[in-house]
Amino acid sequence: MSDLINLNFTVNGEKKHIKLDPSMTLLEILRNILKLTGTKEGCGKGECGSCTVLLNGKAVNACLVIASQLEEAEIITIEGLGKGEEIHPIQKAFIEEGAVQCGFCIPGMIMSAKALLDENPHPSEEEIKWGISGNLCRCTGYSKIVSAIEKAAKER
Amino acid sequence: MRRFSVIRIRSLEHLFDLAEKGMTNPYFLAGGTDLLIKIKDDLLIPPFTVLDISGLQELRSIHFEQDYVRIGSLVTHGEIEKHPELRLLFPSLTDACHGVGSPQIRNRATIGGNIGNASPAADSIPPLYVYGAELHLVNSKGERWVKIEDFFTGPGKTIRNPVEIIKEIRIPAEKRDYGTYLRLGQRKALAISKISLALAGKKKNGSMEDVKIALGAVGPTVIMAVETSLYLRGKELSSEVIKEAGNIIEKEAEPITDLRSSKEYRKKMCSTLLVKALTNWKQVA
Ligand SMILES: Cc1cc2nc3c(=O)[nH]c(=O)nc-3n(C[C@H](O)[C@H](O)[C@H](O)COP(=O)(O)OP(=O)(O)OC[C@H]3O[C@@H](n4cnc5c(N)ncnc54)[C@H](O)[C@@H]3O)c2cc1C
Ligand code: FES
Ligand code: FES
Repeated sequence: MSDLINLNFTVNGEKKHIKLDPSMTLLEILRNILKLTGTKEGCGKGECGSCTVLLNGKAVNACLVIASQLEEAEIITIEGLGKGEEIHPIQKAFIEEGAVQCGFCIPGMIMSAKALLDENPHPSEEEIKWGISGNLCRCTGYSKIVSAIEKAAKER
Repeated sequence: MRRFSVIRIRSLEHLFDLAEKGMTNPYFLAGGTDLLIKIKDDLLIPPFTVLDISGLQELRSIHFEQDYVRIGSLVTHGEIEKHPELRLLFPSLTDACHGVGSPQIRNRATIGGNIGNASPAADSIPPLYVYGAELHLVNSKGERWVKIEDFFTGPGKTIRNPVEIIKEIRIPAEKRDYGTYLRLGQRKALAISKISLALAGKKKNGSMEDVKIALGAVGPTVIMAVETSLYLRGKELSSEVIKEAGNIIEKEAEPITDLRSSKEYRKKMCSTLLVKALTNWKQVA
């Protein structure tokens, strides 16, 4: 297969220099190498959004990005949202609204919400639904997730 | 996922050098949202070489010139969808890009990849037909411009050589009075179009002058509804004309039956989408 490449990129504000196979997915790098297991693998094919992270500020499916595409990239995962012990306001709103059931979809859902609110701080309900249209949830029926994002937007 | 060989392309010259030396089964990787799925599904038979072109900055920009708008092949659906000037000139295209996949997909998936993948259901392609787009194809031997309708030969098949890169897409910078893109899928997000219709048109003294209509996901490639366009030329946008245009397109379209829908359903829906598009136009006019 390919020769290993030296990859320089930033994860949650920390610079990383690692040697790895260029065909490895960002999801594999995060979970298997960096042990950041907050990012989940559902479908592995861009359909479910449970692997959503921010790449240069934009929400992407980590299962559909490979190492060779990551030179100098800035990645933020769910682990990078809070400050130390303090969780992020979006995370807080999810807890307060009871928007979490089994929790599997939630890291991805929160990363999509973060990307949405960074771009559009006061989205309408429709815009929120469109913003999380790439994230599937088998448990909640979405309405509490939408309320949580509305709440987080209000409290910003 | 299985491991495979990847070469990160640093410049077009780098690509041309590699091409001259020869490679086994090269595939370009832009956003990877089609190619990586194919690799995961074991649809590419090894050995193959993935050429990662995603770092080629020169393919990432949009230029507005006197006669043409030039869109680099690595521009994403998300960038097109949100571009205010593109929305003014080519609303059918920005509508189409708005509906691709999901926010995450639109942030990665490129217009060049949508064209390169050559699915008859690809959303950006019918609008490129109605706006008369041309593709700039470049390889180590030279370059050529190809009209979008001459590019595709079947599902997943094009006239492109394996190491010929789509560098940019240029569209005549012509303002129309109306443009739209309508699609039917299982649901709004993350669903492949079962059928889609792109329409762009101009009016003169109250009647339609030049209306272009393209249909996606009805046959092996996108098709233009030429007879329907001819019928509309010179007519006013009245309810009778709209109804008759719906009948004509239903006869004109020769859809296929596949897993997603039957031929009969597709024929009816071609008509339904056209009636909807023309009715919307009538309302804004
Ligand atoms: C979950 C999901 C949902 C999707 N939803 C939609 C949808 O709603 N509508 C839709 O149309 N598509 C959809 N797609 C398909 C895909 O996202 C699009 O076709 C996208 O535009 C492909 O672009 P890419 O940059 O990711 O292509 P890649 O996967 O990088 O490439 C696709 C093909 O084009 C070739 N190629 C790429 N760039 C070039 C170039 N510059 N020159 C020559 N050849 C090139 C590649 O070799 C490859 O064969 C979806 C995909 C997924 C995974
Ligand atoms: S695991 Fe990436 S989208 Fe489902
Ligand atoms: S909370 Fe269980 S999948 Fe969303």
